[in-house]
Amino acid sequence: MNAIAFTDVTKRYGDVLAVDGLDLEVPAGATVALLGPNGAGKSTSINMLLGLLRPSSGEIRVFGEPPETAVANGEIGAMLQEGALIPELTVAETVDFVRRLYPRPLPLEEILRLADLTELARRRADRLSGGQTQRVRFALAIAGGPRLLLLDEPTAAMDVESRRTFWDNMRAYAARGRTILFATHYLEEADENADRVVVIARGRVVADGTAAEIKAGVAGQAVSFLLGEQPVAGLDALPGTTGVELQGGRVTLRTIDLDATVAALYRKTTLDIRDLQLHGADLEDAFLALTKEA
Amino acid sequence: MRHYIKVELLRMLRNKRYVIFVVAFPVGFYLLYSNLWGSDSDQATGLRGSVLLMVSMAAYGALAAAMMSTAVPWSQERHSGWLRQLQITPLPGRAIILTKLISSLLLVLPSLLLVGLAAVLTQHVSLSPVRWVELILVMWAGTIPFAALGLAIGSLLPPDTAQPVAMIGMFGLALLGGLWFPESIMPAAMKSIAHVTPSYDYARIGWRIAAGETPHAADAAGILAWGVALVALALVAYRRATVRA
Repeated sequence: MNAIAFTDVTKRYGDVLAVDGLDLEVPAGATVALLGPNGAGKSTSINMLLGLLRPSSGEIRVFGEPPETAVANGEIGAMLQEGALIPELTVAETVDFVRRLYPRPLPLEEILRLADLTELARRRADRLSGGQTQRVRFALAIAGGPRLLLLDEPTAAMDVESRRTFWDNMRAYAARGRTILFATHYLEEADENADRVVVIARGRVVADGTAAEIKAGVAGQAVSFLLGEQPVAGLDALPGTTGVELQGGRVTLRTIDLDATVAALYRKTTLDIRDLQLHGADLEDAFLALTKEA
Repeated sequence: MRHYIKVELLRMLRNKRYVIFVVAFPVGFYLLYSNLWGSDSDQATGLRGSVLLMVSMAAYGALAAAMMSTAVPWSQERHSGWLRQLQITPLPGRAIILTKLISSLLLVLPSLLLVGLAAVLTQHVSLSPVRWVELILVMWAGTIPFAALGLAIGSLLPPDTAQPVAMIGMFGLALLGGLWFPESIMPAAMKSIAHVTPSYDYARIGWRIAAGETPHAADAAGILAWGVALVALALVAYRRATVRA
């Protein structure tokens, strides 16, 4: 069963098309990163999944139901980009209040443990640091034991150490067969914490797969060498090659499969290859290639 | 929702501004004024100063509590993202405004009761049990328009504007209602404004009951009309503030 299904969803703000015909399905139990630059439509998509925004057209289903129903049934927990706490309440009071709003909440102690808040339980919200506040907001997101957890750039205000702890906590929660969708513009976060990365730009899905597949699918990899006076013909037919450029006696082959291209270069041609250089793609290149303005 | 109300009460009782304006102010001023004028007799109502001031200060405290516990906290919750946090839980939207209203009405009680207690203990004010109950119940129910006004302000304005507007509204209504000084010494223009405010009706009803008389129908009708209008405004403003685009 799909935890999330977007079918041709569009969201328009006046003249601006924030989400443009989005199709996306996330099976239950998956951890998916929604990767994209600012303004790509990540937050809009998450807010629509929560019923906070209504799509201009298209249909959204969460566990087969409209978002409002899923929220009312306590199926979704979320950590939105902004969200202050009630200053006069302690951490434990805040978490306990929110968990009681859900039909099948986790026990208070367990929530505090999962969010590393056990020691801060009695501290008032107005005496928490930024990173501690984020942990409380994570605790609120999981308090109801939701089957679907949505995180909108959850680590934006965190330092490196808290970021690592945060993802450990998130994985501990995900390990129980729950579905997680998180938005980020940090590539490493997507790479390290998701089993699937959906790249969106200008409100559309531009790539979808594992981090490795996305790297491979982009012509960001290349092999170059000195060709001299030798003929260039036939190089474009090598496996994986997507483009050939010749400049001052050095040829550059763009490829989607670096290994296959290089192997074929040696086995299937008789060229005298000098000064071979390989240019691997990382996710950063892939991301930039995918999201740059068409 | 019962737990939500409990949480709302807990946080306001920990809020210094609420405690100062709503609990300390009316009781403190009652003690001060009743020492000065407690044994004077008021010509308009025929009440002894200690009773008149008890109703005035309790009315001020109740009015302040109703507005302070609604306008600014609610506006802040809308802007800080706390409202969104609640909107993505199974809590239905109407439970939020209902809880705010109920909590605000409960938070009115400390000032009503404490000013009454101060009057009994320091000025030996004595009313029949029936009249006490009547006075407190009517003055309690009479704060609904002010709580609704506070919620409307909180729904319509951002926190930095809601704060001064609520303050001016609260002191303005208290002044015009004749809670700080009698309406009879107001200049004519101010008097005619005072007569249409809900706080004027509210205070007059309180004084009449304390004097053992039946409130004027015009005052009752006045505050009832304000109540209906302000509750309607609060509901419309709430819907506008929480509408999903």
